[in-house]
Amino acid sequence: MEVIQTLDLTKHYRSSAFKTNNIPALEKVSLSVEQGEIFGLLGPNGAGKTTFVKLILSIVHPTSGSATVLGYPLGQRVLKEYCGYLPENHRYPAFLTAENTLIFFGRLNGLPESTLKEKAHSLLETVGLKDWAKVKTKKFSKGMLQRLGLAQALINDPKILFLDEPTDGVDPIGRKEIRDLLLNLKTQGTTIFLNSHLLSEVEMICDRVAILNKGKVVRTGTIAELTTQKLAYVVQLSSPITNEIRERLQQTILPIEYKDTSLIVSLHDKSELNTVIDILRAGGIGIESMNQQKTSLEDYFIQIMKGENGQ
Amino acid sequence: MFRFTVEEAMRRGTLIFYFIIATIILLLLTLGISHPVNEPDMVTLFGNPLARLSQPGFNVIEFLLIQLHSLSIFWIILLGMIGVAGLIPSMLEKGMIDLFLSKPLTRAELLMARALGAVSGIVINLIYFFVGVWLIFGLKAGVWHWGFLSSTIYVVYAFVCFFSVVTIVGLITRSAGFSIMLSFVFTLISWGLEVRENGLYRLWDNVVYHRLLDTLYYLTPQLDAMLGNSTRVIGKLPYIPNAPDFTFMPFVYSFFSTCLLYFLSIWYFSRQDF
Repeated sequence: MEVIQTLDLTKHYRSSAFKTNNIPALEKVSLSVEQGEIFGLLGPNGAGKTTFVKLILSIVHPTSGSATVLGYPLGQRVLKEYCGYLPENHRYPAFLTAENTLIFFGRLNGLPESTLKEKAHSLLETVGLKDWAKVKTKKFSKGMLQRLGLAQALINDPKILFLDEPTDGVDPIGRKEIRDLLLNLKTQGTTIFLNSHLLSEVEMICDRVAILNKGKVVRTGTIAELTTQKLAYVVQLSSPITNEIRERLQQTILPIEYKDTSLIVSLHDKSELNTVIDILRAGGIGIESMNQQKTSLEDYFIQIMKGENGQ
Repeated sequence: MFRFTVEEAMRRGTLIFYFIIATIILLLLTLGISHPVNEPDMVTLFGNPLARLSQPGFNVIEFLLIQLHSLSIFWIILLGMIGVAGLIPSMLEKGMIDLFLSKPLTRAELLMARALGAVSGIVINLIYFFVGVWLIFGLKAGVWHWGFLSSTIYVVYAFVCFFSVVTIVGLITRSAGFSIMLSFVFTLISWGLEVRENGLYRLWDNVVYHRLLDTLYYLTPQLDAMLGNSTRVIGKLPYIPNAPDFTFMPFVYSFFSTCLLYFLSIWYFSRQDF
């Protein structure tokens, strides 16, 4: 089931109140996000990632196009009851304590007063801020504010969680904790929409990603689809290959990269791999492992960006 | 949002300062005003005769109440506006407004809760002082001046109207500094428009210009006229014998201009991208 669906969603910002020339932020973005998946939106600075989330939450108004969230068209008040949002560079009233911040945002979500305190404490414990409940947020570090922001986004038990750079300023242990928390939320059925620059993290937790560049979607797919670009296999051998086997492999006309006790074989067709295996086995060389070669999401992202920007 | 804004407003340094000054004045009045046991008709201030209640003519207590009323209005405009005029722009700050707008509230609810919360910060302080003064004069001097008590309602009403200007200015400028500055400029404009026939009209003898000033007068809350009338509910100052009588008209006109300004604020806020 699709929980977010956009069709040709477009946003142009006006450069100023008195000028008519527009700055395109998003151009005909059509995306769909399935229930219970972690969806990553990637892109360089100014690609339109934040604008996309703000459009979904009606923080900015679309220039054209349409979208539905949980079946509701954009702008419906009820839609926001099911959403949690952690914006980038969020700010909290400095005079509130962590506990009161959560209670305040819980009230804005229309949650019953009787459950708020208990809920706030439970969430502060979840994000590791239990001992800071009575401390004013103005004393919090960037990482602590991120954790509090995450708790704030979870106060209404959202069905869809929008996170804009959630691990920004968080230390490596904290990042791991946040990743684990997100994976746990996923198992509970929460859909997570993640905007992040940290591609390694996206790769670790996202099911599907979309890459935005200059307001346009340039790629979408699962992590596996995007990082498994060419049909190439890394074959780990039990011993180095002899010259005789090397000659026989070269006769296959397949591009093969030779290393000490491994081969990287590029294929046109999967069946060609059997030929390579037969040659190796016939030559008495054992095969310890065989894996399809993958590029990292970061490599793929850079490759795409270079291609898009004509470099 | 309303509750939160009231709390935020009450924590503003300038309003705390007003509260402290108001408390000191109330304490001084409590300690100072008394009835001599042998002269129940006499009201004294720190032992000095202030007024004889049965004496006709100049009413010193009424005069004192008018002065306290005017003094309080002056200080609440000065300190209150510095304190709360920035509350609308602070809600619009990046990182804060995103959070508010992502919650299941309409923009109209959000804005009105913020505006009314901010004005409540001032109103609570005003009520504290006015009701306090009224109670002290009633309990210690036996003067239950209902005109003074009812003036509180008019002052509160005037501030709610005035804050419609502060709200729209805060929304458009998105700057606390500008918002405070322009709020003060508006109090001067309001005064200028109130006396326009003897002042601004004379700058340029042109009918279009005069009608333009009239339109501006009726399109904006008539703060100066409302506050002036709130004083007239208490009594007339002896040295202004020709002062006009109390009239409801500025309150009626201001009701419509305030509704218009709040409506325009909501319309503008609803169309904005953040």
